[in-house]
Amino acid sequence: MTKTCRVRVKVNGVAYDEEVEPRLTLVDFLRERLALTGTHVGCEHGVCGACTVLVDGRTARSCLMLAVQADGAKVETVEGLAPEGELHPIQMAFLEEHGLQCGFCTPGFLMAVCELLEDNPGPSDDEIKEMLGGQICRCTGYQSILRAVHRAAANQQAARAARTTLRA
Amino acid sequence: MAVKIPNNVDELPTSALRYVGRAVKRVEDPGLLTGRTEFIDDVSRTGMLHCAILRSPIAHARITGMDVSEAAKLPGVVAIVTGEDAARWSFPAAAVPEGWGTHCLPKDKVRFVGEPVAAVAATSRAIAEDALELIAVDYEPLEPVMDPLRAMSQGSPLVLEERGTNVMMQRLFTWGDVDAAFATADHVFSEKFRWNRLGANPIETYGCISEWNPVDHGIVVRGGFQSPSHMALGRAASFGLPSNKVRMIAHPHGGSFGGKGGVRGTDISILLSRKAGGRPVKWIEDRMEYLVAGGSQAWDRHYELSLAARADGLVTALKVKLIDDLGANGEGFGAISAAKPLAAFTGPYTIGAAQYDLTLVATNKAPASPYRGMGPPPHNFALEQMMDIAAKGLGIDAAEFRRRNFIPKDRFPYTIPSGNEYDSGDYQAVLDKALALADYETLREEQATARQQGRLVGIGVASAVEPGVFDWNAYAIVGVQGTGVPEGATVSVDILGKISIRVGFALEGQGQYTLITQLVADYFAVDMDDITVTALDTQSAPPHFGPGGSRLGVAITGAVLGACERIREKMCAVTAALMQTAPENIEFADGNFIVKGMPGAEMPMAQVAGTMLGASHLLPPGIDPRPEATYVWTAAGRTPVDEEGRAKSYLTAAQAVHVVLLEIDRETGMVEIKKYCLVDDCGTRLNPATVEGQTEGSVAQGVGAALLEEYVYDEDGQLLTSTYMDYLLPTISDVPMTEKDEVVTPSPFTPLGAKGCGEGAIHTTPAAVMCAINDALAPLGVRANEVPATPVRLWKLIQAAEDAPATV
Amino acid sequence: MKPPPFEYAAPDTLEEVVSLLQQHAGEAKILAGGQSLIPLLNMRFARPAALIDLRRVAGLDGIREEEGRLIIGAMTTKRAVERSRLVANRQPLLHAATRWIAHPQIRNRGTVGGSMAQADPAAEYPATAVALDAHFQLVGPNGARSVAAEDFFVTYLTTALDENEVLTEVHVPVLPEQTGWSIQEVARRHGDFAMVGGVFLLGIDSSRRCTRARIVHFGVGPTPLRSRDAEQLLLGEAPGEAVFAAAAAKVDEAIDEPLSDVHASAEYRRHLARVLTRRGLAEAAGRVA
Repeated sequence: MTKTCRVRVKVNGVAYDEEVEPRLTLVDFLRERLALTGTHVGCEHGVCGACTVLVDGRTARSCLMLAVQADGAKVETVEGLAPEGELHPIQMAFLEEHGLQCGFCTPGFLMAVCELLEDNPGPSDDEIKEMLGGQICRCTGYQSILRAVHRAAANQQAARAARTTLRA
Repeated sequence: MAVKIPNNVDELPTSALRYVGRAVKRVEDPGLLTGRTEFIDDVSRTGMLHCAILRSPIAHARITGMDVSEAAKLPGVVAIVTGEDAARWSFPAAAVPEGWGTHCLPKDKVRFVGEPVAAVAATSRAIAEDALELIAVDYEPLEPVMDPLRAMSQGSPLVLEERGTNVMMQRLFTWGDVDAAFATADHVFSEKFRWNRLGANPIETYGCISEWNPVDHGIVVRGGFQSPSHMALGRAASFGLPSNKVRMIAHPHGGSFGGKGGVRGTDISILLSRKAGGRPVKWIEDRMEYLVAGGSQAWDRHYELSLAARADGLVTALKVKLIDDLGANGEGFGAISAAKPLAAFTGPYTIGAAQYDLTLVATNKAPASPYRGMGPPPHNFALEQMMDIAAKGLGIDAAEFRRRNFIPKDRFPYTIPSGNEYDSGDYQAVLDKALALADYETLREEQATARQQGRLVGIGVASAVEPGVFDWNAYAIVGVQGTGVPEGATVSVDILGKISIRVGFALEGQGQYTLITQLVADYFAVDMDDITVTALDTQSAPPHFGPGGSRLGVAITGAVLGACERIREKMCAVTAALMQTAPENIEFADGNFIVKGMPGAEMPMAQVAGTMLGASHLLPPGIDPRPEATYVWTAAGRTPVDEEGRAKSYLTAAQAVHVVLLEIDRETGMVEIKKYCLVDDCGTRLNPATVEGQTEGSVAQGVGAALLEEYVYDEDGQLLTSTYMDYLLPTISDVPMTEKDEVVTPSPFTPLGAKGCGEGAIHTTPAAVMCAINDALAPLGVRANEVPATPVRLWKLIQAAEDAPATV
Repeated sequence: MKPPPFEYAAPDTLEEVVSLLQQHAGEAKILAGGQSLIPLLNMRFARPAALIDLRRVAGLDGIREEEGRLIIGAMTTKRAVERSRLVANRQPLLHAATRWIAHPQIRNRGTVGGSMAQADPAAEYPATAVALDAHFQLVGPNGARSVAAEDFFVTYLTTALDENEVLTEVHVPVLPEQTGWSIQEVARRHGDFAMVGGVFLLGIDSSRRCTRARIVHFGVGPTPLRSRDAEQLLLGEAPGEAVFAAAAAKVDEAIDEPLSDVHASAEYRRHLARVLTRRGLAEAAGRVA
C-alpha cells in the first residue's frame, strides 16, 4: 500500500512520469498536473461526457478514472488533435457546420467522434446518435452536431481518397 | 452630434455585403475547438487557494453550535469562514423583491438544504473537502415548509422570520375591463396547471477566483459571469464597497442561460481571501452544489387561468392567477421571471383585457434563479392550453383558432393590455408557412387513421411572442429599479487600418464576437481577419450588461454601428481637411472616403487612420486625431411603469408557430416526437447560422422542460434529484431534428431591423409539445395539466380514462 | 466532488488481491472498471480505506467457449462482450443486453464482473445472468467456489461475495437450440437505468409447445425477480396473446414491493412489468423458427 503512486503515461505522444495521490482523477491529473486544460469537468459523475478522452484508443470518462489507472496507457486529448495549430478534419467539420456554441462540451464530443469515425467511417444518423447519446450539449440542440459528424466523415473520406490518389 | 444607427442593412456604407446576413464561420470557434479558450477553471493565480463549502444537510434549522477547530488543524488548510465572518464583513445579498436577502453564510438559521454554513480555503480542493468533514455543526431542526400553499397560510413556519410572512409579494393587476368581458362572454373556460421546478444547467458550472486587497480593500474577481457589471454592483453592495473598488474580469464561460448563479459562492470566496490575508481563492462550483443550491432552479408554479371567448372564436379577456414558489429567498432574482410575462402577457393575440393575480412565496427550497425565457415559457404553456381548450369547446380547429385571434399585420406597433408594445410582425404568414411546412392536413388525416387503431397520436399547434431586448422596467413590478440597459463598444482603428473592438462581456456561446466582427468588417469593407474583439474588465469597459433577455445581438449591433458612425464622422472631417473641402462634400462608401462629384479623389479608410495617427502635421488644429470612438446603445422610449405596471419594456417581439406531431405509447406513457416543424420571425437575421443555433438549442431545452426536467423535493426538504442520474437533460436521442422555415419582418426600431432571438424557441416549445400531448389524449377525455409530462403521469391519466383495473 | 483519501494497490496476482482484502477486513473495495465505484467516491458516498485494482492481474479477461458455456473473465469490458462474435453467435441475449447498458464510453471501461458485483437492482446484467442460469466463480482465502446467479444476488447492491472474495469468471450457457429470447426495457432516456426491464427465454418445440421458459425482471425489487409461477404456466402451452397475458398476471403476483422513486411509482412499475412480459414473450416466441 502506498501514499503516492507512480504514473507513467503517454499523453498526446509525450511521455510523463509523475507521482500522484491515488485519489487524483485522470481529468484532474491532465488539467492540473499536465496543464492540459482542454478537457473539461462538467459533472464528476460520468453523465455529461465533457471530460471524455481516448485511453488506448477508446473513449473514457476521465472523471471516472483515477490517474493511477492510466499507468502504462496512451491517452489522447483534444490538444492532440491540432498539435501545430492546424485544425483536424473533425474540428474543421464542427467549425464549418457551427457544431458548437459555448464550446465547453466540445472537446468531449470531438474525442467521441474520433472513436466513432475510426470504427465506422460512414456512420448513419442512428449510429451517430448511439455513439453520442452519452455526450450532453446544452447549447446546440444537437442538430448542428449531427451535421458536423456527417461532414467530418466526408472530410476524412475525401482526405483518404486524396492520399490514395497521390500514392497511385 | 446625434448618431443615426442604420435600421436596414441597405443603409450600411458598403454596397456588396460580404458578411452581414451570412452564416459566416465563427471567430470564437478555433480557440474553443482546440481547447485553448480559457474558462475560469483553466486559470491559476500565484498563491491561489481552493475553496470548498460546507452546506446544510437540513432544510430548516437553527444553528446552535459550530466548531471549526479540528478542520483548522488539517495540513493544507489556510482559512475558514463562518457566519460570524459574514456578519462582520458583509451585508445581506441584494435580492428581488428587496429585503428578501440574507448573508452568504448565515449565523443563526439555515433555510434550505445545501445552504452554505461554512467554507474552507486550502491548498487543494480535495484537502478543503477533507476539512469540511472535520467541521462540527449543531442544528436544532425546525419544521420546514415545502408547499407554497401551506407557506401562504396562517400558522405556517416562517422562512425569513424577520419578514413576518412567507408572502414575498401579492398583487392584482387589472388591465382593461376584464369583468365586463367575462360577464358578456359567450363562453368562459377555466383550468389549473402545474409547472414543476427546472433550470438552466449549463455544462460548465459557476466558478470564480477572488482576491481581496488588504491595503485598499478592493476586490478583483475573475469568473464566468453572464453580466460582469451586474455582478460587480452586487459585490460592491455585499461588501459595502464603493463601486469603483470592485473589478470583475469576465472569462469565456460554458453557457449560462440566465442560471449561472454564483452570487453566494463569490461572496464566500471573497471572505476567504480576506481571511487568508488577500491570497486568491478559487471556487469551482461542483455539479451537485449547482443542482442543490446553485443558480439551477426556476419556475415552480401553480397556475389558474380563465379565458373569455365569443361564439365566433374571438378571445376577449384572459385571467392568470400565479403562485410562484421562489424558495428560501430572493437572492437568485428568480422573481423577475414572474414579471417578464407582462412583456407578452396576451401572446400573439388581440385579447383586449387581462388580469394578473400574482403571489410570490418563500419556502424552504433553494432560492429560484432566472432561466432562459425568464418566465413566459410556463405562462405561454398555460395560455396555449387555454387556447386549445377554447378551440375544442367551440369546435374550431386549433390552427384556425389562433389565426382568428392573431394580431393582424397592419396593426403594428401594437400595444398589449399589460403595456408593452410589439414592434412588428406578420403572424398569419408565419402560421401559413408552418402549416405548409408540416403538411398539416396530411398530419390530421394520419392522425384520424391512427385514432381508429386506438393509437394516441397528437398534433400541437402553438404560437408565442418571443420578446427581445429587455429593459429593467420589465421587472419593475417586483421591485427592480431603473430604465435603460446601456451596452457600449469602443471601436478603434490602428495606424495600419486594423481594427480592434473593446466590449464589456465575455463569450457565452451566442457568437456575439462573430457578429461584431461581421458588422464592422462590412461597415469598413475590410476582411473579418483584420478585426479583433476583446473583453475589458468592469473598471475599463464601456457601460454594459452583456447577454440576457435576448438583447445583446441587437444592443451590441447598435453599439458597434454607433461607434463606426462616429469614426466615419471624424474621418470625413479629416478627409475634408486633407482634400481642402467641407465635410458635407465627403462621403464614405465601400471602405473609401470620397469627395462627392470628383471621381478619383478618395482615400481608403486605412490611409485616413494612418494619417490621423502618423502624420499629425497634415491635420488642421482642433481636430480629434483618434480614429476611435465609443458608443453606448440602449433602447429608446423606455419609461418607468405606471401604477398598473405598464410600460414599453422589451423592444422587439419575435414570434413563432410550432407544429408538433407525437405519439404516446398507451401502455407505458412514453412520448415519441415524430415531427417538429417551426417557423419563426425574428426580423433581420444578421448571422443565420447563429439564429438557427439559438433556435435548435432552445427547442432542445423546451423538450427537456416538457418531458424530462424536474427538481423533486421530499416533504423534509431534501432534493431527490441531486445528480444527473435523476435530473434528466435531453440527449441527442431525445431532441427532435426540427424542420424550419422563416419569415422576416424587420423591426422598425432596432439597428438593422434585427429582433432579439437568443431565448428563442423555449418560449414556444413547451407549449407546443404539451398541446400535442393533450391532443393525443383528447379521445380519452383527460388532460395533462402538469409539466413535465413524465411517463408515469401520462400513464396515470390513461389509466384513469380507461377506468379499469390494469388489464393485461 | 473529490474523493476522500484511500490507499491503493494494483497487485499482479489473485492471491495478493485476496490477501489484501483480508488485511483490510472489509474496508477495502475492488476496483474493476470504476464506472460505478468512482462516482460514489467522487460524491463521498463510498469511503473505502483502500482500493485494490484488478487491472494487472493476468487471466481475468477474455471470452471463450467451453463445453456449451461461455467463460467470461470478470475484467472483460462490456465493449469486448458487445463486439464479440462468439457472444453474438452463441449467446445473442447477452449481446443484446449489453447494448442496453449506458453508452459506449461507459461500456469501454465497465466490466462484466463489476456489473455483477455491483448488483444494481435496475441493471441489465444481473437479470440476464439469472435468466441464463449463469454461474459465478468466486475466489477467496478458502479457494474457489461456484455460485448460481440466482443465489448470487442477495439484496440491494449486495451479493454472495464474502468480504474477502473476488469474482473471477462468469459462466453463461450458450443459447440452446429452438430457444427464443428477448430483453425489454423502459427507461426515461436511451441509456439510462431501466425503470423496469425484463429478460425472457422461451424454448419451443416442433409442435409449437413451450418446453422451457425463463422470465426475469429487473427494476421491480431489490434483486432480479424470477417469476417461476409465470414460467410454469407457459410450459406445454402454445405461444399466444392470451397465455402471455396470463403469464404477465402471474408476474404481478410475484412482485412483492416494487421500488418507488422520482421516475416511477411502485404501481407503475408493476404495470410495466406486465406490459414488458407480454411484449417480451411475444418477441421471444417470434425468434423461434
